[in-house]
Amino acid sequence: MLSYIAKKVFRAVLTIWIAVTVTFFLLRLLPADPTLLVIEGDMTPEMQESLRARFGLDKPLHIQYGLYLAQLVSGDLGVSFRQLAPVADIILARLPWTLLLAGSAFLVTLLVGIPLGVHAAVKRGKAVDKVVQFFGTTSNAIFVPSMAILLLVVLGANLALFPIGGSIDPDTRGVAAYLSLFHHLALPLFSLVLVQIGPYALTLRTNMLEVLGEDYIKSARARGLSQRRVVWRHALRNAILPALTLMGLQLGTLVGGAVLTETIFAYPGVGRLIYESVQQLDYPVLQGAFVMLAFTVVVANLLTDMIAMLLNPRIRT
Amino acid sequence: MTLATVTTRRRRNRQSFMSTPGGWLSISVLVLMVLTATLGPVIVPNPSGLGTDILQPPSAAHWFGTDDLGQDIFGQVVWGAQISMAVGVAASAIAIVIGTAMGLLGAYVKWLAPVVTTLTDVMLSLPMLPLMILVTALAGPSVTTLIVVIGVLSWAEVARLIRSHALVVASMPYIDGARVLGAGPIRIMLRELLPAVTPLIVVSVLLTAARAVISEAGLSFLGMGDPSSWSWGRILLNAQRSGVIATAWWQTLFPSLAILVLVLAATIAGIRYNDSRDPRTKGV
Repeated sequence: MLSYIAKKVFRAVLTIWIAVTVTFFLLRLLPADPTLLVIEGDMTPEMQESLRARFGLDKPLHIQYGLYLAQLVSGDLGVSFRQLAPVADIILARLPWTLLLAGSAFLVTLLVGIPLGVHAAVKRGKAVDKVVQFFGTTSNAIFVPSMAILLLVVLGANLALFPIGGSIDPDTRGVAAYLSLFHHLALPLFSLVLVQIGPYALTLRTNMLEVLGEDYIKSARARGLSQRRVVWRHALRNAILPALTLMGLQLGTLVGGAVLTETIFAYPGVGRLIYESVQQLDYPVLQGAFVMLAFTVVVANLLTDMIAMLLNPRIRT
Repeated sequence: MTLATVTTRRRRNRQSFMSTPGGWLSISVLVLMVLTATLGPVIVPNPSGLGTDILQPPSAAHWFGTDDLGQDIFGQVVWGAQISMAVGVAASAIAIVIGTAMGLLGAYVKWLAPVVTTLTDVMLSLPMLPLMILVTALAGPSVTTLIVVIGVLSWAEVARLIRSHALVVASMPYIDGARVLGAGPIRIMLRELLPAVTPLIVVSVLLTAARAVISEAGLSFLGMGDPSSWSWGRILLNAQRSGVIATAWWQTLFPSLAILVLVLAATIAGIRYNDSRDPRTKGV
């Protein structure tokens, strides 16, 4: 069990290291000299040099790399070109919104996707199964902004059931503030869930079909256990494990979807920040956003692996 | 197995692929899309300049309506098809070559296996869209950038699929036979393993191209597309920028449908091709 944890933690650290290293070399080796963006044509050579020194670009590459790693470890992601504020502060102010959106989308997808997959497997070949299979194939083909725009136009603008932008009504307090929070969260959340849920339900359906054919399920049935108990207690427990690993790997796609849906709904998370930074060509923020999102996804993935371990006695011992 | 049995089996595969609506419909849609992308720009003029009919809903003159500059949305969707298809096909070709090479190396070269699996897992677990945005922003947005960035960052799923199947084949006796006969690792990978996983590569091409189209749309939607050419993502971005998302439904609906139909057709064709080769699901 310890070696399993050690292996997973090592894999997580390695992933983050590769992510930051790739980022570093991309920034330094691609033709665009980052200083050219802040350096104006009428600056004196001395001013240009002092700017290069300020961003650490006057030192040899391997020293820059060492400095960069040291900075990252101390939580320093550099300085934004446009806002002249620390990138870490800018991103941390936005990150909770993205965590709220992506985290709740993950939970809702599981809570709806798992029963869907189980029902489809139990009623194999029936109408429910056909609908789930059709929806599973289709939902993956939907472009997240398309789904977001559809919900915004129909539920937000025309039926006026939900707000079409922002994250919370600033005038609300207490319970009303929470209600406002969920009210604003609903549309970005639905657009992510509807696109994500298909593959989850399909994976669980496939796993359930496999498990339901196993001998121990037949023997549980033969012992006279109720259908509900056999399906939800005996079969699901084993069907959910391989699905969980896959769901962990899907987290990166989920975050990518959050970037797109936040842009449509002007949701103040990291995704909307990326959109704004693209318009202003603010490279340090784009780099910091990728590093922070990669870190978040890897940690979440590690947590998923740990949950899988707790559910699986074969790894636990 | 004689040549005759091979050809009849092939014909039977083709027949069972085309026998279901999923098969022939998806292929017809793909062919129609390719025709639109290649012939469309010759027939339909490139939307440019300022028109007088601003934000018009669909009509006989403008089938898909017009945007806030008075440009024809139908023309934008047709011209966008060219970029979306080009990026989808070219990026998926890059991803397939890298992914297949990684998959075969990971399956057959023992000391490379841990490197390949680790690299594949890392690529799969990282959030790709933010990375693609960063690289595209640094390299400067252009169609070439989009193709290279999407292609180079999308090989991991191909590698995983190819490797898992090549591993099964690599442990079969005939591979040992080839080795005993003196075939080197490169010959075994190219002449024995590669043909065995070729059907999977066909499926991968379709699924990877579908994902590449989605990635291209995402990058263009965030402003990372080629500013000088139309793409479906850029039409959506224009709607977002001019603030007409809630009102001009035609400007977002038609490019969205184009993405959905193309991606769905490629996905279903991939699934059908896979099923038509599988004796358990053949003819279902």
